[in-house]
Amino acid sequence: MTKVSIDSIVKALRKSVWVFHLNSGSCNGCDIEVLDALTPFFDVERFGIKLVASPRHADVILFTGPVTREVLPKVIKALRAMPRPRMVLAIGSCAVGGGIWYDSYSVIGGFPKLKKILMEEGITIDRVAFVPGCPARPEAIIYGVLVLLGVVKPKSKKEVVTIE
Amino acid sequence: MKFLKLFVVAKKAGTVTRKYPFEEPLITEEFRGEIKIDPEKCVGCGACTLICPPNALTMRDEGNVRLIRYFVGRCIFCGMCAEVCPTNAIAITKEFELATLDADDLLRDLLHKRVKCRICGRPFLTTRLTKYANKDIPGSDNYADVCPECRSKLSIKNILKYRGDLDD
Repeated sequence: MTKVSIDSIVKALRKSVWVFHLNSGSCNGCDIEVLDALTPFFDVERFGIKLVASPRHADVILFTGPVTREVLPKVIKALRAMPRPRMVLAIGSCAVGGGIWYDSYSVIGGFPKLKKILMEEGITIDRVAFVPGCPARPEAIIYGVLVLLGVVKPKSKKEVVTIE
Repeated sequence: MKFLKLFVVAKKAGTVTRKYPFEEPLITEEFRGEIKIDPEKCVGCGACTLICPPNALTMRDEGNVRLIRYFVGRCIFCGMCAEVCPTNAIAITKEFELATLDADDLLRDLLHKRVKCRICGRPFLTTRLTKYANKDIPGSDNYADVCPECRSKLSIKNILKYRGDLDD
């Protein structure tokens, strides 16, 4: 069996991406924006993006929420059920950096911290795209999907400015 | 034949779908996106880091530098930092296309040089902040490059000298 690079697999997926919506204890703000993106107003089926009801059918998981302790086992179960390559779109400031709950005792605090727990569980996430926003706009979610699939190059870069 | 009425409704509505990546997004006047800190105006006082609800803006003192770090990934875009900034250095932009593949790309760092105390040599405030304070408070130039601890010692010394209790 030859080793296939993730980029070539992603390139093959570009034409039709099936997404599964996973809420890990978010406030429903981002969930409503995800639903907004799926309506005919923004119509993501232009890009072949389709919502499916099971993580077993999904190519991309739309991940919202700061991962509460209660929902952590279920999140691990859902991500394990997903076939490789596992691609995750972390939507909203909660999923990206923990949001206003980043140091709370009852949450894991965003996807980067969850990724470490998943590594211990033996689940590899092949690619993650972070979409900041509170909540993220439907346009921002569409842009995030395009970044995840490598259609557009991400604009934002780390900036370091030294004064005097 | 009731369903035929739908055609009338559909024709009245027309096409509503936004062709977003190929056309301008729907952004209103009040929309708040990523904040931009103007490095020309920022004095490094840290007022924004105190007011920030999710601590997206953090301040850390490391040796000779003061690091003001803005992590966009945690920002809730409330705009309170722009309201509280004494020098109006923070501007709210309409930028929302911030998606990246690496969380480190969401960091914006601002490094301020710190002033060293002329007596004990410990760095304390940023150079910009001392200049900013001197502008408003007359007579503060004498104590501008002295750290708070040394400043209290110095002022006690000066009082004693004035009263004649100190010999030297």
